[in-house]
Amino acid sequence: MGILLQTIVAGLLKGGLYALIGIGMTLIMGVMGIINLAHGQMMMVAMYIAYVLNTMGVDPYFSLLVAMPTLFLLGVLIQKYLLNPLIKVDTILPENQVLMTVGIGMVLTEVIRFIFKSDYKYVTTSYSSATFFLGGISFNVPLTIAFFIALAFTAAMFWFLIKTDLGRSIRATAQDKDAATLMGINTGRITVVTMGLGAALVAAAGCLLAPVYYIFPDLGGPFTAKAFVITILGGLGSTVGAILGGITLGMAESLGATYLGMEYEDIVGLAIFVAVLLFLPGGFKRLTKV
Amino acid sequence: MRAYPKGLLTVAVLLLAVVLCGGVMAAENVKVGIVLPLTGAQAKFGEIEKRSFEMAAEEINAAGGIKGSKLELLFEDDTGKPDVGRAATEKLISRDKVTVLTGGYSSAVTQAATAVAQQFKVPFLVTTGSADEITEKGYDYIFRINPTSSEYFDPFETLIQKAGGIKTMALLYENTQFGQSSAKDVEGAAKSAGIQVVVKEGYQAGAIDFKPILSKVKGAKPDIIYMVSYVMDAALLMAQCKELDINPKMFAGGGAGFTLPEFQQKAAAAADLVYSATLWSEDVPYKGAKEYFNKFKKKYNSETEYHGAEAYGSMYVVADALKRAKSFSPNDIRDALAATDMMTAFGPVKFISYGKKTQQNKLPNTFVVQWQKGKMETVWPEAFAKKKYIFPTPAWKDRK
Repeated sequence: MGILLQTIVAGLLKGGLYALIGIGMTLIMGVMGIINLAHGQMMMVAMYIAYVLNTMGVDPYFSLLVAMPTLFLLGVLIQKYLLNPLIKVDTILPENQVLMTVGIGMVLTEVIRFIFKSDYKYVTTSYSSATFFLGGISFNVPLTIAFFIALAFTAAMFWFLIKTDLGRSIRATAQDKDAATLMGINTGRITVVTMGLGAALVAAAGCLLAPVYYIFPDLGGPFTAKAFVITILGGLGSTVGAILGGITLGMAESLGATYLGMEYEDIVGLAIFVAVLLFLPGGFKRLTKV
Repeated sequence: MRAYPKGLLTVAVLLLAVVLCGGVMAAENVKVGIVLPLTGAQAKFGEIEKRSFEMAAEEINAAGGIKGSKLELLFEDDTGKPDVGRAATEKLISRDKVTVLTGGYSSAVTQAATAVAQQFKVPFLVTTGSADEITEKGYDYIFRINPTSSEYFDPFETLIQKAGGIKTMALLYENTQFGQSSAKDVEGAAKSAGIQVVVKEGYQAGAIDFKPILSKVKGAKPDIIYMVSYVMDAALLMAQCKELDINPKMFAGGGAGFTLPEFQQKAAAAADLVYSATLWSEDVPYKGAKEYFNKFKKKYNSETEYHGAEAYGSMYVVADALKRAKSFSPNDIRDALAATDMMTAFGPVKFISYGKKTQQNKLPNTFVVQWQKGKMETVWPEAFAKKKYIFPTPAWKDRK
């Protein structure tokens, strides 16, 4: 029983972080209809920002305040100058924006490798492995904090999309771009803002992950893959879906690790991915409707 | 616009001529192909080895090179993936026409790369890739300087006997060829030493959270936790053992990640008193070992460890074989390598056959080190020990 509870807690905490990683991608997917395959790499850049600030004595949670605006700007620039111009170009491949994101991911990785080398970096904090126990179940402090911050960001995002003008415009663009344009929405600007928001959210995830994990230039790929799985699980463009997707993936990995063997961690995640595609195409969005 | 392509053609021809001349001039160099993970998660190891290869080659060239010609190192990045390693080896052989190959870090990549070398009959001196199978296939062009991973556990056996009181073991390993191969051997060795393996779990490298398997380990209360892990997984495993308050009598690492300075820096207090198998430390009594360590530190301003020493030794073995070879034909180099009997900074090198293995180097000693107060100290075998080993490991809460 202790082991089961510990597994569920571990899965839940990890799932919160996954949700924050996935939510940016799902937003971009919903509005632009493309998968941002540089998503994990953007997170990696944010982690390096947290690392550099940490060497100057800044706590990784405060580096959120720097990394998020920086990545917002990076996202805006990428969308405005690299992705949007591609829409106007006729090619045999309609999805050349996706291919562009692959290239951007590689460039980000190699630029970071050029600056920081392939060395492993890590953010040292006094609380990196701090724990508290609740009835014999251990809670890792940074992961618990990350979980609640992730929930707060997700809630804020939800409120923003439902209640504000800009949020409504984003949802309108996601639902029907042509109709949105006809209603007077500047969809070009919306895509730019969305990419910025997505990048800022994944930057937050990076800063929260930094104290418990380690940092190296090639870290982006696996997290892009995780974000993709979460996006498909949750349903394209669904914030609530991304939370459910993230937590489902975290739980599945944890339970799989305990009861099947940890070497199957990735297999469990991908098996669920395939199952959702087969039996619940459209993801959790079909159930939650938001 | 007609003239334009013609002009281009002239330029191309000129360029080609330059390249060809360059090629002729470069042919005087002896080309050594080296396959290493220079990017990807194992890049840290690749970097240490690359620097050591370069340092050794510079020294050899400065001392007159090989029969008047210089060593030219051609590095290819295997990114830690077997398919890339295979392609890299093919490129080195068929396009760059290297005389001899060396390098090879991860076992899975090395296995793929050596198969290519054997097929093209180009001699390959494996630097690290340590899974037993690699020298068990009867490949006559493949040599290995690194002892097999099954021998990493040997010094632990005697240490455990001496320390006493160890009856149960938890065995954690990364789910790769190196991890699986090591785990199988350690399990067998533990059984024959009368130690019961109570938990045996593989994990996926790069995981964030090891608590699921560590909870199981905690429940089983083993006397020793033996881990086969690369560097950052190793650091996270130890940090999370501390978090979950797991208290065996001994934490032991099976080579690879546990000897790197980054392990200690990331795991910090959790790294203290962790044991690791190692093939080399700067304190080993081989001629040139300490000099290599100091030179590396001076040149690159960072520390080296056993992987670097292997690379440094490999370069000297290759140079020695090239010097003795009747000609630079693959067959003559192979024969020269097979006749190797020399001392390197890494230890004595001689390729012998034993058990199912062929052309395999065997070191007289492998060592156990222990992190004590942030420093890695050689603690076993007793004859080489710099510090007394600390056993049993005190519980986390009893540490200051």
